[in-house]
Amino acid sequence: MSSPAGVIHDIGYQRYDGERLGRGDTFLALYSQSLRTVFGLGRSFKAKIFPWLVVAVVAIVGIVVMAIRSQTGEVVLTYAMFPQVLSTLLVLFVAIAAPELVSRDLHSGVLPLYFSRPLRPADYAMAKLAALVTGIVLVFGGGQILVFIGAAFSVKGFGNVMNELADMGLGIIYTALYALVFGSIAVLIASLLKRRAVAAAAIVGSFLVTAPIVGVLSILPSESVRELAGLVNPVSLVSGVGDWLFEPSNEAGFGVGSFGPLYALVTIGLIAACATLLVTRYRKVSQS
Amino acid sequence: MSTVAWITTRGLLGRRRFLLLLPLPILMVGIALIPRFNGINASDWTQPVIVALGFTTLLPIVALIVGTGVLGAEIDDGTITHILSKPLARWRIVVPKLLVAIGVTAATAAVPFYIVGALASGPRLGLGLIVGSTVGAVLYSTIFVALSLISRRPVLLGLVYVIVWEGLLSNLVSGTRVLSVQQYALTIADKASSSPLLSGNVSFTVAVVMSIVVAVGFLALAIRRLESFSVTGETS
Repeated sequence: MSSPAGVIHDIGYQRYDGERLGRGDTFLALYSQSLRTVFGLGRSFKAKIFPWLVVAVVAIVGIVVMAIRSQTGEVVLTYAMFPQVLSTLLVLFVAIAAPELVSRDLHSGVLPLYFSRPLRPADYAMAKLAALVTGIVLVFGGGQILVFIGAAFSVKGFGNVMNELADMGLGIIYTALYALVFGSIAVLIASLLKRRAVAAAAIVGSFLVTAPIVGVLSILPSESVRELAGLVNPVSLVSGVGDWLFEPSNEAGFGVGSFGPLYALVTIGLIAACATLLVTRYRKVSQS
Repeated sequence: MSTVAWITTRGLLGRRRFLLLLPLPILMVGIALIPRFNGINASDWTQPVIVALGFTTLLPIVALIVGTGVLGAEIDDGTITHILSKPLARWRIVVPKLLVAIGVTAATAAVPFYIVGALASGPRLGLGLIVGSTVGAVLYSTIFVALSLISRRPVLLGLVYVIVWEGLLSNLVSGTRVLSVQQYALTIADKASSSPLLSGNVSFTVAVVMSIVVAVGFLALAIRRLESFSVTGETS
């Protein structure tokens, strides 16, 4: 036994001589694969049922709004109101997609494999979040585009079509804001839970539970408490930002008063906090 | 029979995710304290707290986590085979597991419901709400246990049911109220407490009859599905 204890034998596997792609390409690959996962593309039929159910309902709503608009000329749902009215579906969509994106990797314990590549924890977290946000914008922005198509053919004159286009652009940016808020909360919750089922329930729970709190706070006698009540729930938080941006003179019903900028600030803070926590959470995994 | 119940209870309460059930009841009590000590009329805040938070959110979400946890989790990771291979009739597996799910859900719901009811108008309303929430716990648990035997993704299906059917439709469309567990529980709680703060949307007879139909129907369905259950090594 003169040979050293540990020897790596060359047993004739073919070597890889091609170009080795770096961190950016790994990020892009993970992002595009995650975006496919959101819609269950490249997976079994069962993985497609739930996301495409949501897509179908959004499409139906879009077509109905489009039809009413082109037949009667009545605007039942403005572009800005579109994601707000469908916020329940939005919650359902993130509850379906987020656990599929991150809880699956936790459950099967493949994170060390990801992090043995030139991929950093922050890249993994951001790729997953970006995929979910893109997915939401595709679905709900797609619904707004359907409404726009109906409107573009029913209004007279090129200028009006351009007005509609500008409105739709703003609407889609607003949808992206919803997507960022809902997506970052959902991915953060899902990244803490291994089981997809439990993660989905936890996401829906966190969105549903905070809604009645707004209801309770908004009947309190103090006016500033009423106007600040919306901050508690993600849905009313983003719709508060929307009220501030799109309807500054909105007096009726649920108003945000002079707290509009605060709503915007809290929204940005919430997105930043969720993203930071998400990155911190994966940094911990990569060290263990 | 008691062994299955014992194993299920331990599997349910021994895990970390059981802690997920605690924030909801604590939140419900906490949120009821705010208007209570701000001197707001009870009839103004019982609707958002008892109906929207309690019957529409807390009860179905707790029942969903527990109900799919007693059987669905074992089907998911394949350990259901160990119980199925024992010389036990299949209904002797379903019934104790269902009873555990009902017990845990009803206990988790009863405490905050009683406290909130007592805060709103007194012990009578609290007891009435316990009756109503227990009926709700029985129905939701039976539905979700059956659901975890029907589908491979019971939680998502359950969430769609809770959000779309119970949450949106039964509050907006009056026609679906006759087929809504939430309305049965509310009506029975209303009858039991005879409090002016609650108002059921369906008649008491309908609520009782439909509750029995739903409970028996889904229990029979669950037993039937487990009797013909085949273990497949499926990944999706």
